[in-house]
Amino acid sequence: MTTTIKIDPVTRIEGHARVLLDCDENGQVDEAHFCVNELRGFERILLGMEAHTLPQVTARICGVCPTAHHLVAAKALDNCTGVEIPEAARLLRELMYMGHVIHSHALSLFVLAGPDLVFGLGGDAATQNIVGMAEKEPELTQKGLRLRTLGQKINEVIGGRGIHPVTAVAGGLSFTISDGQCKRLQELSTEALSLIQDLFGQTRDLLLGLFDDNPALLRQLNIPTWYMGSVNNNGGLSFYDGILRVVDEKGALQREFPASDYDKYIVERTVSYSYAKEVYFDHQGSEHMYRVSTLARFNVIDGIDTPLAHREFEVFRERFGRPCHNAVVQMYAKLVELMYACENAVVLSQSSKIKGPTRVPAPMKAGRGVAHIEAPRGTLIHDYEIDDKGIVRAANMIIATQQNTAAINASIKQGANALPANESGEKILNGIEFIVRCYDPCLACSTHAIGRMGLDVEMRQGGEVRKRIVRGKYA
Amino acid sequence: MRTVLVVCIGNQLVADDGVGQVIFQELAGYKWPETVRVKFLGLGGIDLIEELQGEDLLVVVDGVQLGFPAGSVVELCWADLPATQGRPVSGHGLGVREAIEVTRKIYPERCPKEVMLVGVEGRCFDQLGKGLSLEVAEAIPEALGRIVSLAGCKPRPLFRTC
Repeated sequence: MTTTIKIDPVTRIEGHARVLLDCDENGQVDEAHFCVNELRGFERILLGMEAHTLPQVTARICGVCPTAHHLVAAKALDNCTGVEIPEAARLLRELMYMGHVIHSHALSLFVLAGPDLVFGLGGDAATQNIVGMAEKEPELTQKGLRLRTLGQKINEVIGGRGIHPVTAVAGGLSFTISDGQCKRLQELSTEALSLIQDLFGQTRDLLLGLFDDNPALLRQLNIPTWYMGSVNNNGGLSFYDGILRVVDEKGALQREFPASDYDKYIVERTVSYSYAKEVYFDHQGSEHMYRVSTLARFNVIDGIDTPLAHREFEVFRERFGRPCHNAVVQMYAKLVELMYACENAVVLSQSSKIKGPTRVPAPMKAGRGVAHIEAPRGTLIHDYEIDDKGIVRAANMIIATQQNTAAINASIKQGANALPANESGEKILNGIEFIVRCYDPCLACSTHAIGRMGLDVEMRQGGEVRKRIVRGKYA
Repeated sequence: MRTVLVVCIGNQLVADDGVGQVIFQELAGYKWPETVRVKFLGLGGIDLIEELQGEDLLVVVDGVQLGFPAGSVVELCWADLPATQGRPVSGHGLGVREAIEVTRKIYPERCPKEVMLVGVEGRCFDQLGKGLSLEVAEAIPEALGRIVSLAGCKPRPLFRTC
């Protein structure tokens, strides 16, 4: 006799997913599947398109990390055409990207996870939301939302739009920056840095309080995996560029390679229960489950180049070690990255090198263009084959969330088995949703339903419904 | 003269959800007095918070599904605006009502004194690339009239049409 538990959908993540738990006769979870319900068809849609449109088209893959797709596609085209873009273009693209990271991390921490921080787990869903949060912690909410807006505005000044930017092109950037824009970027970045310094201590204390109140989270959510992330020449945190570094479950360096070699090591596999492919790291003939994301980046880097974030990184590593396998801690790492993005934005916006020419000719030619970027949720790789007429003939994308799916499944299995069997339905739902949210999956590939959807969980034994937990529109 | 912010919301890619965008384009074709600002937002959530400047009146223009016949133009005051239930599913899950409630708490001085919704009842909200339903397209002049009347001024066309 087996039990199937279905959670559909999981809320407060980007996109929609459901969770299937197959239980054995003793009620222990045998297999957990995190399922992506939407088909992303972009790798096929792009075929036959003119390659120079890729940065604009792929920005539309996702409203959550459009700038990551936009820039990685432009970088892939730079590589395919074999051009070296001007320094001003490189720095401005990186600054645009810092704006995006600030926007994305602030949204994730203060809007999506914020209610958990302010109210703890297992609170009343009716008040555990941004409105309730604004009531209880108006200053935190105000500053968190403002920080998100500042990131979006930095992204907009350089990218032309706050979401779905348009200015990165093969060979650089489609405009040169004016003195007025420069000044605006400096103002936005300086305000962002000042805000994160105000917010940091309180947010970290809320996070540590959440861990203290729920010791099971730190005890149980430790799935040993390998990790992959980008590092710069000094082994420091790097979002826009760098080489890929892979460490094993003990934190030992296993491989460093340029993104163009990704297909030598990263193995993709389709699975029957989900539209997302599972991905493994192939090392000397054996496959290893690995993760990307903020936590993965913190497990691969040696340090952070900006002083405030580096200091906080050392505090983080002192407390959680290397490697840290606990997905819950990821929110803390994200806070430190937010500090880095603000500091780096200030440095970039104040550099005199962002002025000047931003574009070199990059005529399309037949070839292959591969590039990567650290999306807020982990390493993102675009790989294109382009023919002599500049038409896309093949496209492959390795998205952050698919690289984490195997680990998400393992975490849900472990977490669900740790939940007491006599727990209330709402607590079971919240517990499993919380685990999934810790991985911060982004499934926003094609469509979004707007508003809240219901949850329907069935626990079956021998085909009979033993227990049904319902909330939302199904109720 | 009282200050007015008109915010049009919608997605032009999705059938009748595009009505806010079409109305925005019409409104943008007029010269408005300095006391009236007209803005377009894809979603009425967090970004609305930054747009508010303590206006006397906020007019939200959007396609709605309130159960009226398609093409009906409805005018609702703040108290009657429908709320999104519970937690948002994603960053998109924050509606106009929630955005204003959050504003009331974190930036009380920016909160509009009065909020009105001008909604056009749509027929279809799930077809990509379909364009407006006939009834919805035909309702646009009436919706424009309501907005102008709420704004309390007569805008001049920017371009003379023959």
